[in-house]
Order: sequence, then structure tokens, then C-alpha cells
Amino acid sequence: MTTSDNAVAVLSVEAPPAARRGPGWRLALPVGLLAIPMLAFLMYFFFYPALVLLLSSIQTQDSRGIIGRPFTLAHYARLVNVELYARVLWTTLRISIITSALATVLAYPVALVMVKSRPMVTRIITLIVIAPLIVSVVVRGYGWQLVLQNGPKGMLNWILMTLHIVDAPISVLYTEAAVVIGSLHVFFPMMVLPLASALGKIDPNLEDAARMLGAPWWKVFLRVTLPLSMPGFVAGFTLVFSLTAGSFVIPAILGGASAIMLGNLIEQQIFVVYDWPFGAAIAVVLVGLVLAVNGVSMWLLEGRRLRRPE
Amino acid sequence: MDERFSGFGAFILYSITTGMMLFILAPLLLVMAVSVSDSYFVTFPPQGFTLKWYAKVLQDRDFLEAMRLSILLALGTTAGSLLLGVPAAFALVRGRFFGLAAIKGFLLSPLIFPALVTGLALLQVLTKLGSQDARLNLLIGHVVVTSPYVIRTVVTSLQLVDENLEDAARTLGANRLRTFWRVTLPQIASGVAAGGLFAFMVSFDNYPVTMWLANSEYSPVPLVLMRQLVNVFDPSVPAMSTIIILMAMLGVLVLEKLVGLRRALAA
Repeated sequence: MTTSDNAVAVLSVEAPPAARRGPGWRLALPVGLLAIPMLAFLMYFFFYPALVLLLSSIQTQDSRGIIGRPFTLAHYARLVNVELYARVLWTTLRISIITSALATVLAYPVALVMVKSRPMVTRIITLIVIAPLIVSVVVRGYGWQLVLQNGPKGMLNWILMTLHIVDAPISVLYTEAAVVIGSLHVFFPMMVLPLASALGKIDPNLEDAARMLGAPWWKVFLRVTLPLSMPGFVAGFTLVFSLTAGSFVIPAILGGASAIMLGNLIEQQIFVVYDWPFGAAIAVVLVGLVLAVNGVSMWLLEGRRLRRPE
Repeated sequence: MDERFSGFGAFILYSITTGMMLFILAPLLLVMAVSVSDSYFVTFPPQGFTLKWYAKVLQDRDFLEAMRLSILLALGTTAGSLLLGVPAAFALVRGRFFGLAAIKGFLLSPLIFPALVTGLALLQVLTKLGSQDARLNLLIGHVVVTSPYVIRTVVTSLQLVDENLEDAARTLGANRLRTFWRVTLPQIASGVAAGGLFAFMVSFDNYPVTMWLANSEYSPVPLVLMRQLVNVFDPSVPAMSTIIILMAMLGVLVLEKLVGLRRALAA
């Protein structure tokens, strides 16, 4: 949903010229002060807690559960060195990358059809793509649990067996594949929407010109459409990656014990093990991962590296 | 179809698109189908037709209590994020001060920050403060994650406001408050409403912040549903889910009427 936020960091401020205002305006307080309550609220309940979390990730917890000195990087070392935890980190990265890549490949056709079809078709596709976005993630995860259910009573297995594609039920639920499928379902709109908006901005004459000059459809796509839609792709990939990496519900419902992600590990460390500093360290790594991907994407989008030719 | 697509390319495009539409709808439709299944376990294909699972859900104290809590929480969150977010959006669009871009980035940053971590960090600070009231804690957490949506939609609609109209009203003698109420607000009303509706829906569905701040006494709908998923195997879980799906669809329709879906989401 943050299509343009990632891309547009510098906004053009249309400040009203003071001279045009009557004297009443000049006496009044600057309009900028209106942001103060919101700023104060976020400073105290968002920014400050994040700093406390960062701090506790390099502190030590004593036997009474009090977090303080000495400072240490041991929690980070533990995440990387203990095989059990390192595996969670890799699983998270793998699932996030595969989900984003799959979303990209599948979203291009949908976004193309969405942008270039008759208004009625566009409207229906938009509704179908967006509507589930507003349905609770728990419900969607549950839906996939029903579809993928292991054993002959699951919908997928029932269909596969009725069509005689397989003879015995296959096991998809509680694997990484199930988490990828669920994440793809949950975050697919985040790829389609930025792509559709980028594709919608491409001058159709460019594609027509390529076609008239004899390029086959795939060449038009590879040489004209694809390069020009890069900003949408970058924004979408960033969103899907960040959201998948930070998910908890989908791996909890569909992944079971075999696809634990960072979010699940954090929850376990805090609620089950009560190891706050380690939980905090994992959270900081997750934030670092997400911010790094967002940073690269901003660099790509702003540095005019992906700017469309005028 | 469109002349732009033809031949093999068109075939691939439309097949994948149709496939994805089925992929998106399948789990939701299955949940709805199973919710009226006349069997004691969730199975495929669903058998018979009954509404008894809905009757069961509507008598389930935990679910009704959670529903009440979630709706009140979402209403409070909507009010809170509008009260803080609308003035902030004004400052961002009309203000002229040092570091404006940075401040906008900061106000929208809860959108990129993993919500799970936002909730965890908040839990730590609220625990230190000794804030025991789960309802208050949830309200604070939900306002943190929903206010960027309000700011974004209101900023977008404010940028479209014709300031000459406000100048005209002022010249004709209206004071600032009256100008805002009679001239500016009607122009941004749909943006404010969409922002509010977003805040409501995001709060109602929120899991990653809620899971840290709720307790056994005050558990909103997503948490109760998650618990039921693990413990209950009859079709009352799909019935609950269907009620949530239908509520979401209602929200989508209202949003579509208010501002149009694409604009609301991709703004």
C-alpha cells in the first residue's frame, strides 16, 4: 500500500504566499504546529520504544528478569552461530525471496490485463485483487489450511485424486511451500497495485511503435514494457519482501514446526522463554533486513536509475 | 478483447490472470462453503446445508465479547487517528518549515516498520510504565499503526483543495474556523472518511500488534479466531470467518463508493 511513499521522499510543498493572506493569518500560529500532537505521540509510543528495544538487544538479563549492564553482542552472535536460530533466519530470507519473485512473475500478467482491458474487466479484476486485502489474515490463513489440508479430505487433495493426477494424498500443509502459497495470497495485491500504476503511466504509443516496426509481442514486452515498469516492480518487490519477512500469522497457521520464521521465533522467545534481550536482538535483525531492502529500493527509485526516458 | 493483446501472448496473459483470480477467491469461497456444511468436522466436499453453525457462533460468549471489544477498539482507534492525523496532514500540506520532508517520512514510517516489532517495542515500554489496562494499551498500539493511513489519504485529498476558495471565504469575512468547516472540510470529506474507514478496518484485523498487547481478559476477534483454529474442528470456525469476510466486503463496498478502491489504496 505504500507505493508512492517509498518513491516520493521529497514532496513539493505548495506553501501559500504569506503576502496574499489578510492580517488575521499573519497573527495566527503557524500551521506547522498542527503536526505536534501526532509527532509527540509517535515519538513517545513508536520512536522511543524502538530505541529501548535496540538498547535492550545489547544488554543482559539477570535471573530476576531485569535488563541492564553489561553491554554485549552475544545475542546477535547467538542468532548467527546457533544452527537452530540461523536456520530460522535463512528460512525467513528464502520464503520472502521466493514469495516476492513468484508474486512478480504472476502479477505482471494480471497488472497488464488490469490496465489494458475494457473498463468492466478492469473493475472486476481490481475488486477481486483488492477485496481479500481487507479480509483478516487469520481468515485467509485458515482458508488455505482448508485447501491444503493433508489427507484425502483436503480440497486440493480431493481435486487431485478425483482427477487422478495423484493416487495418494500429497502433504503440502506445514511445509515451506504452504507458507509461500499463503504469503503469496496475502501480499499479492501489494505487487499488482504498484505494477498496475506503473504500467498505466506508460505511453501506449511506445508499444504501438515497437509493434509497428515489427517486434513480436514478447520483444515488445521485454524491450519496452518491462524496462518502463521497473519503478512499479521495485516498489512492489520491496513491499512483498518486507511484509513476508515480518509475518507471523501465516507461518504460524500454515508452516507448523517446519517453517518457523523470525516473527515466530521472536514470539517464542518473549512469551515462552522470556528471553527479552534475545527476542529484541532478533527483532532488530528483522528491522535491519526490512530497512535495508527499503533503502536499496529508495536508492534505485530516487537516484534516477530507473527513471523513464522523457 | 483488446486489440493490444493477440495470439499466444494474449492466451498466456488471460490464462495466468484467470488462474490468479481463482487462486485469490478459492480459499475464501471454500471457507464460506464449509460454514454451511452439515457435518461435525470440516471436510471437502461440504455436505448438506445448515445454518446451525451460525447459530452456535452467535451464542458463543467468547466470540461476541471479542466482537464487542474489537468494534469498540476500532471505533476508538478511528477517532484517535483522525484527531491526531488530520491536523498533522494539514501541517504537512500547508506548513512551511525546516525538515518537512523528514517529518513526513517519520510520520509515515510505521507503515514500513514490521508491525510485529512495533507491538513488541511498545509492550516493553508500556510494561515499564506500569500500564496494565489492555484496552488502553491496544488503543495506543492501534493508533500508532493506523494513523499513517489517515495522514496519507488526507494529505492526498488536501493537495487537491483549491485554496482560492478559502481565500475567497476569508475575504468575504469568514473566520478561520468557519472557513475550515464550510469550505475546506467539504472538499476533503471523502478523504477523511476513507482514512477513517481504513483505520477502522486495519484496527479490526490487526494481529501483529494486538498479539503483544492483549491479555486473556481482553482478546480482540483475530486472537480469538486464532485460538479457535487450534482448538475447535467443527464448522463454527468457518462460520466465524464468513461473518468476518462479509463484514470486510461491506467495508470494501463503502470504500469503493466513497473514493474508489484503486485511489484509496494506491494513493
